[in-house]
Amino acid sequence: MEHTANDTLDFHETTEESLKLEVASQWQLMWWKFRKHKLAVISGIIVILFYVVALFCEFFSPTVPTTYLDVYATAPPQRLRLFLDGKWFPHVTGYRGERDPVSFRKTWEIDYSTYIPVGLFVHGDPYKLWGLIPGDLHLIGPKNPGDPFYLMGADMIGRDVFGRLIYSSRISLTVGLVGMVISLSFGILLGGISGLVGGAVDNIIQRIIEILMSIPTLPVWLSLAAVVPIDWPALRVYFMISIILSLISWTGMARVVRSKFLALREEDFVMAAMLDGCSRGRLIMRHMLPSFLSHIIASITLWIPGLILGETALSFLGLGLRPPVVSWGVMLQDTQKVAVIARYPWLLAPGGAVFIIVLTLNFLGDGLRDAADPY
Amino acid sequence: MVATHTTQQVAPELTMRSDDHLLEVNHLKMYFPITQGLFSRVVGYTKAADDVNFYIRKGETLGLVGESGCGKTTVGRCIVRAYEPTSGEILYRDPDGGVTDLAALEGKEIQPYRKDIRMIFQDPYSSLNPRMTVFQVISEALRVNNLASGSEMRDRVEYLLQRVGLRPEYIQRYPHAFSGGERQRIGIARSLVTNPKLVVCDEAVSGLDVSIRAQILNLLEELQDDFDLTYLFISHDLSVIRHICDRVVVMYVGKIVEVASGLDVYVDPKHPYTEALMSSVPVSNPRARDKGTRILLEGEVADPSNPPSGCYFHPRCRYAQQLCREQAPPLKDLGNEHYSACHFAEELSLAGVRMV
Amino acid sequence: MADNRVLLEVRDLKVHFFTDEGVVKAVDGVDLTIESGKTLCLVGESGCGKSVACRAFLGIVQRPGRIVSGEILFHPDGNGATIDIAAMDPKGAEIRQIRGREISMIFQEPMTSLSPMYTVGNQIIENIVLHTRDSKEIARERTIQLLDQVGIPRPDRLVDEYPFRLSGGMRQRAMIAMALSCNPTMLIADEPTTALDVTTQAQIIDLILDLQHEYGMAVLFITHDLGVVAELADDVAVMYLGKVVERAPVDTIFNDPKHPYTQSLLRSIPKIAMRREELDPIKGMVPNPFRRPDGCTFHPRCPKAMEVCRHVVPSVTQLDPNHLVRCLLYESQEGRPDESAPAGRN
Repeated sequence: MEHTANDTLDFHETTEESLKLEVASQWQLMWWKFRKHKLAVISGIIVILFYVVALFCEFFSPTVPTTYLDVYATAPPQRLRLFLDGKWFPHVTGYRGERDPVSFRKTWEIDYSTYIPVGLFVHGDPYKLWGLIPGDLHLIGPKNPGDPFYLMGADMIGRDVFGRLIYSSRISLTVGLVGMVISLSFGILLGGISGLVGGAVDNIIQRIIEILMSIPTLPVWLSLAAVVPIDWPALRVYFMISIILSLISWTGMARVVRSKFLALREEDFVMAAMLDGCSRGRLIMRHMLPSFLSHIIASITLWIPGLILGETALSFLGLGLRPPVVSWGVMLQDTQKVAVIARYPWLLAPGGAVFIIVLTLNFLGDGLRDAADPY
Repeated sequence: MVATHTTQQVAPELTMRSDDHLLEVNHLKMYFPITQGLFSRVVGYTKAADDVNFYIRKGETLGLVGESGCGKTTVGRCIVRAYEPTSGEILYRDPDGGVTDLAALEGKEIQPYRKDIRMIFQDPYSSLNPRMTVFQVISEALRVNNLASGSEMRDRVEYLLQRVGLRPEYIQRYPHAFSGGERQRIGIARSLVTNPKLVVCDEAVSGLDVSIRAQILNLLEELQDDFDLTYLFISHDLSVIRHICDRVVVMYVGKIVEVASGLDVYVDPKHPYTEALMSSVPVSNPRARDKGTRILLEGEVADPSNPPSGCYFHPRCRYAQQLCREQAPPLKDLGNEHYSACHFAEELSLAGVRMV
Repeated sequence: MADNRVLLEVRDLKVHFFTDEGVVKAVDGVDLTIESGKTLCLVGESGCGKSVACRAFLGIVQRPGRIVSGEILFHPDGNGATIDIAAMDPKGAEIRQIRGREISMIFQEPMTSLSPMYTVGNQIIENIVLHTRDSKEIARERTIQLLDQVGIPRPDRLVDEYPFRLSGGMRQRAMIAMALSCNPTMLIADEPTTALDVTTQAQIIDLILDLQHEYGMAVLFITHDLGVVAELADDVAVMYLGKVVERAPVDTIFNDPKHPYTQSLLRSIPKIAMRREELDPIKGMVPNPFRRPDGCTFHPRCPKAMEVCRHVVPSVTQLDPNHLVRCLLYESQEGRPDESAPAGRN
């Protein structure tokens, strides 16, 4: 009987390349597969950039969002030029404002005679990083503090749209994250109980989910948001909105988790682990959860966009966050009138930001989902 | 007697019919409820195993054969206690001589027996967790039962890998690196890692190609001798059962219809269903084509949630009489360890497998 | 039984799959002839290319697979007309005239070819109407008659049932009824009994044999089960890694096999009539499709391998008019009678 033991060995030829594959863990295989999805990789980089900017928004923004110069209200975007007369001299040109004698509207003309020198790592408006560390260093800004510097134009009262856009990203991108953590815990907990315990408990949870899912979301958001007291501090409103957003959306996750548990319960390898003598906890944590963790990560990525859009919609309608908090939705409140959009189209910039982040998150999520099951 | 086995203290009078029996299954019933409607009302039961009786001798290979849906897998899963039987006894003799009713154990009480009775699965792909290395898969039972740790555990896993014909260096690889036959070897190593007494092989070679199947069958036989194993070999493949089993149990719709030695069941069947089964087996010799006539069964396998009256096989049986429609036949002892659940087992002269 | 004229001739068929990781030569030079009214069994282990080959005969190779070379010559009637299926557009109208009408196929899992959305009858009727342009009423009559013929009880009721209401054996019968609905000259059966129980398998095998007697069609039966082969084949072609390694009448294959692979395969199966002799398995396993051995692809597992087998690709040797083998052991004896054989080209 020697031959069964020895001859098989000779046939499992191993090259260096195949060995690399054979000892590769799930996450390595996923990464190799994800890497092939070019659009998703690019989107991933953009998403990371967005979040880095949001994390250090005080530094990336040329101003602080409360700074305003009402002389420059509704000033159009300036163009950043890097050279002057063939020499390295990053600058923007100044403005010359005139008031139309008939309509009293302020019109702007570019003043080619004034140059506003622009530099990297300049000192400008003082701020406190994360509300803690004081500083005044900005990635980009006018070399002489106080000069007009409006890369994306100014809003109705002369605040820098670009700077506010960067500040808002912190709120808008994280309101989704906080909401997601809440719905995720809800979803995994209830979906897990539903899928593992089964029976009557499963029945009750499923009915609750069905009821919650059949409630139209927007009116619920609206009414819940409307009861948030107007005198609450900004931070508390922010958390309240997160919770409101996640209250409805956990149901989807719960369903995903439940179906995964139900499917896994029937898998042979789960039964094998049970017969190995694994406790229930170990069965779930060691044998079942890793099998769909990657799927959960992928669905999270596909899901944040919904929460970002939700926040934007609520705030746009004036029911979400309110000034002085800056979020993309709050900024878009200015564009509720068609006339404003027609005259000052740069105020729509936050809409563009929403568009890019939602699109890239979707591409990224698609890529992750395709790579989530590398076997 | 081991003091940790508490049930033995509660029911110390459990005995088996013979001293060389390793396992005795008595009146085993496994009913699955059929539910309906919004509130899962129970409207009936699928009787997957219905009053099943058999025994397994120490060191033998018992074959459990039948067509899909006959309940053979259910019986196997009851024995490894993946299922909780509805009623009946599964008596198991500990290595130190004590007898335990596995069917009566609950919760953590089963734990000590899990290492003695192991299972090899049919599908070498779905039975290995793709996210765990070969080492993690095989050693899991040692780890959770605190049977070994550290280098001792590693040595044990490497030794077993070698015994099943794989290189010990493969220990850190993931299952996706292996072919079906190699994965089944990993599955065998996993089942043997705890030094089991009884291994339930549930269609362990059915998913494999012929040439690989022969390798695995040889390996199982070799390991049986070296590790003193007893096998319950569940399969629908009569040639495989013929090759590996000492005795054979034939099941039909949740009931045992015949028990006999590996030879008798093939050449001298005493139940019309076994006869039909044997005549259906394709014989791998074209010259056997015209030897004997094939019995083609009429109709379909009975529905285990709504079985026919009397003998479950009577609607398809060509020897059926009035008695068969009215009375369920008991499993009769015909002597020489041959049992049949047919009213006319003694009278009928049935044909065995076609020989060349 | 019909006269034994050649119905389908396959010459040097190559079907390759172009994947990201490389080219898989699933079918790599297959030569076959199928005579009308006869049953040819194509045997081999999984991954030998038997299923891909028969899909190619119908022009239904799935992407990224493609017929790279070779001819599939179909002679639908006795008057010498020849159609090369390999050269046809797989989506064209011509091939659809052949598919389902001249050549039908049944699969391992009938549910893949029966739509769950329509009743069994609907699907068969539609097939008949499509190919014969008969009226629906005539087609329905014919369908009930066919269902009766394949042994389905109460066919007039079952014709209006949905496939999921049938058991596996009944579905396979319905599938066969559909395949027969246009009186095909050839039936390709891809492991039709593998998913079935032995008693049901016996019924289906009997049914196919009966129908063949009645309709005189050629049957190409693909299986890995040598027992089934012994039960129904007239001729057998054994495949290994995309090539036919031996082709002979069934009795020769089982009682006087020449190729070492055929011999080993037969030795490795447990025989129901004997017990407990130790099985003699083929050592090793089927190699990785991307890294096939040089020379004769079987040489690493071959008990009779010679040094020359490592480098030289064997060509086809004709041992007698009906017995072809692709092995270097026999080439020296016979010289090279079959110089036109495509072996060694790649």
